[in-house]
Amino acid sequence: MRRLRALAALALLTASARSAEAAPLGARASADTVVVYAAASLAVPIRAALDTFARRTGTVVLQENGASLELARRITELHRVPDVIALADEEVFPKLLVPRAASWYARFARNRMVLAYTSRSDGAAGVTSANWYRVLLRPEVRVGRSDPAMAPVGYRTLAVYRLAERFYRAPGLAAHLEARTPLALIRPNASELVALLQAGELDYIVDYESLARANHLRYVRLPMEIDLGDPAHAAQYARASVRVARRTDTVTYTGAPIVYGIGVPRGAPHAAAGARFLAFLLGPDGRALLGAHAIDALSRPEFVGDSVPAALRSAFR
Amino acid sequence: MTTHAPVRVSHRAATAGVVAGSLLLLLLLALPIATLVLRSGLAGLGQLGVDAELRGALWLTAQTATLATLITVVLGTPLAYLLARDKLPAAPIVGALLDLPLLLPHPVAGMALLLAFGRASPAGVALAAFGLAVVGSRTGIVLAMLFVAAPLYVSAAREAIARVDPRYESVARTLGDSSVRAAWRVTRPLAGRGLLAAAVVMWARSVSEFGAIVILTYNPKVASVLSYDRFTGEGLDAALPVAAVLVILALVPLLVLRTLRASAVSGEPAR
Amino acid sequence: MIAVEGLGAHAGQFELRDVTFSLPAGAWGIVLGPAGAGKTTLLETIAGVRRAHSGRVTLRGADVTRLPAEQRGVGIVYQHAFLFPHLSVEANIAYGAHDRAYVADIARRLGAAPLMSRAVGALSGGERQMVALARALAPRPDILLLDEPLAAVDPRSRTRLRRELRGLQREQSLTVLHVTHDFGEAGTLGDLAILLEGGRLVQAAPPEALFRRPASAAAAEFLGAENVFAGIATPLDAGTEDEAGTMLFRAGSMSLVGLGESTTATHAVIRGEDVVLSPVRTGPSSARNALDGVVAEVVIHGALARVTIDIGDQPLVAAVTAGSVSELGLLPGSRVVATIKATAVHLC
Repeated sequence: MRRLRALAALALLTASARSAEAAPLGARASADTVVVYAAASLAVPIRAALDTFARRTGTVVLQENGASLELARRITELHRVPDVIALADEEVFPKLLVPRAASWYARFARNRMVLAYTSRSDGAAGVTSANWYRVLLRPEVRVGRSDPAMAPVGYRTLAVYRLAERFYRAPGLAAHLEARTPLALIRPNASELVALLQAGELDYIVDYESLARANHLRYVRLPMEIDLGDPAHAAQYARASVRVARRTDTVTYTGAPIVYGIGVPRGAPHAAAGARFLAFLLGPDGRALLGAHAIDALSRPEFVGDSVPAALRSAFR
Repeated sequence: MTTHAPVRVSHRAATAGVVAGSLLLLLLLALPIATLVLRSGLAGLGQLGVDAELRGALWLTAQTATLATLITVVLGTPLAYLLARDKLPAAPIVGALLDLPLLLPHPVAGMALLLAFGRASPAGVALAAFGLAVVGSRTGIVLAMLFVAAPLYVSAAREAIARVDPRYESVARTLGDSSVRAAWRVTRPLAGRGLLAAAVVMWARSVSEFGAIVILTYNPKVASVLSYDRFTGEGLDAALPVAAVLVILALVPLLVLRTLRASAVSGEPAR
Repeated sequence: MIAVEGLGAHAGQFELRDVTFSLPAGAWGIVLGPAGAGKTTLLETIAGVRRAHSGRVTLRGADVTRLPAEQRGVGIVYQHAFLFPHLSVEANIAYGAHDRAYVADIARRLGAAPLMSRAVGALSGGERQMVALARALAPRPDILLLDEPLAAVDPRSRTRLRRELRGLQREQSLTVLHVTHDFGEAGTLGDLAILLEGGRLVQAAPPEALFRRPASAAAAEFLGAENVFAGIATPLDAGTEDEAGTMLFRAGSMSLVGLGESTTATHAVIRGEDVVLSPVRTGPSSARNALDGVVAEVVIHGALARVTIDIGDQPLVAAVTAGSVSELGLLPGSRVVATIKATAVHLC
């Protein structure tokens, strides 16, 4: 019996020693890991970019997806800091993260809102860029929306409705469209809306063009004056303001062109690796990858804030 | 193998090991709960007075869990009886079918339910004829709770019924009762406490379910979805009182179970 | 009356097979057999709480094999009373009864009246069986199945209950099938004895015949025959087709004259009480067997004694009174003559 026990102990020791050698989690890992928080609409493109980056550099890559505001709160409330955070609304940076959790960020991609649907959707055959809002008003049509308190796509949809009311000169249109989505069809983020649409539970959603294209959904473009996609119409967009009443406070969002923001927050555990990934993503290869996933990347990122790492600034001068 | 005289030290060491291991596990379980309740318990209870959304979520959770449990008791007890008395020829298949939902990750269960009962499915169309839909509705919540918790009830009910010697029913039958009547007049009261305990377990499990429910029904929010929502939407400080209230309320079924176990029926013969 | 034909049933891994016997109305049948022989299974199949997979059960002349238990009008009492713990004694007894007055009557008859309002858990073993009997009899069945009902009851209550049962059975002409381990009970109560072993019927005959002329050596040993010898039989006087013939049976160095059906008999069975001992040879008598032997062992049980005698190389056991042992001076080593009638030597 004693011999057996000794053998077992020896076996365990050698096994653990061997595994300690094999696993890089000990000393090497901290230099070659990068953790990225990605907004729901960026989940798939970031995944692809991380995989390519991992193959090229041998870095261990970890990704967490969520609604943009949720991700920001993970940093500020839970103090779980990633190496890179990529959000669907660059405004979240100045609103929630800068200066305490981040000192700089970069605007790196655009997007626009479209009306997405499937072949099964009620009225799919006849919906166009001109009559989309009339289709949504039909009582038998099921329209989904996102929670404006949780995800930018939520308050952006409401902004689109308000801009539409102005654009089509149809007083009360925004309120009617808003009312077309009962509480039961409100979901916390943009991807869940896509899932429900694919499952046939929803007929139409106002969502990002990138998501519609990436998921091979049918969609119609909305007029440029209301789709939050063109920086030239920024002033027009700003005329729509959405007041989101939350439990404890009320926040006002002003319509603005959709710009995606990305950055390395303060206190990132692997800041250098994060910056390296950022350089890759914002470079030509990364932009090509984003484009392949229907993300409209800026030809050159716009950095905001001081203390941007010198390497990054010089790479994109 | 050499024999050696029994050594008292090894027995003491074994006892110490068992005690230490048990204490460690218990600490692991108790610490998070204690921390939550001590930190935010009072704040949470106070919140109940002013927070209509929280009250609404608690009420919704209680209603749906109770409905799910009632449906399961009615449909599942006869099945548990048949399983306990070995009257099902396909017992192994039925058993596996009952175990599967327990093994599915909860969001996966939710997706499966969405596919099977969503608006686009045949079952969904049938439900729509009755004005029912599973997405964004109480129906969806009850369905998700049923799916993840009913197997627990059936297993536990089966155990409770199996503990009642079938010869009691045999005697009742010779005294004139049909099989059904004998099971109702004799086995049901004797298994009663076990069945009640099984129902409480199911109720508690339903109340705590999140993953399967949230896929089907995000709104209206049950308590578990609300706590997650507060956490992701407003932060830890806003979520903690909700969480603490839920922990305190979880004590209720726990106490009920303890009371049931303590007053178990005695005097039944060994098989 | 109870009649079974080719009856077979499963009980888990165990199987009852091909059991056939017939018990007339108003008779008391005894079921005997070693543990695991299928006695309980037989009773449960007749009661209908266990399904037969083959054969027939006929009660009161009607085929009830497909009839559910609740319609067979058969009462059953198990060794463990299985009183319903959630009901009072009175509620238990009244469970299947149609006549409340009779409930009180039967309870009083069996001595359960003072227990009526008690809880089942507070009763002693004997009291529980009393209540179980009352409960089974309250619906006035005409067939009663008893599975060792008195095994766990104290001796005094046992005697009383046995007497009451016998009385009730006679009064109401109940047909009773009674599983028991107690041979004394079998002898005093039974009209028909049914011996089961390994799920099969070995022999069904009046108790006297079963004990005197068991169908096999194994049956003989189970029934407590003290002497079972293996050997070879050769005929002496051939019998007719209906009656047994006398044969010479050689077991080792011992020769016996006995009665048997055929020369294929392989064993000779002699009950101890049929062996007569004397220190010397008596004169000619009708007993065909007079064997010389030496006392090997004397064991005294109260007023009875078992004397083991070596007849050559065969041990013969005689059951005599202790008094006669001392009177005859039977001690190990004494010479004795064992006298046995041929009719007491059963060949099977």
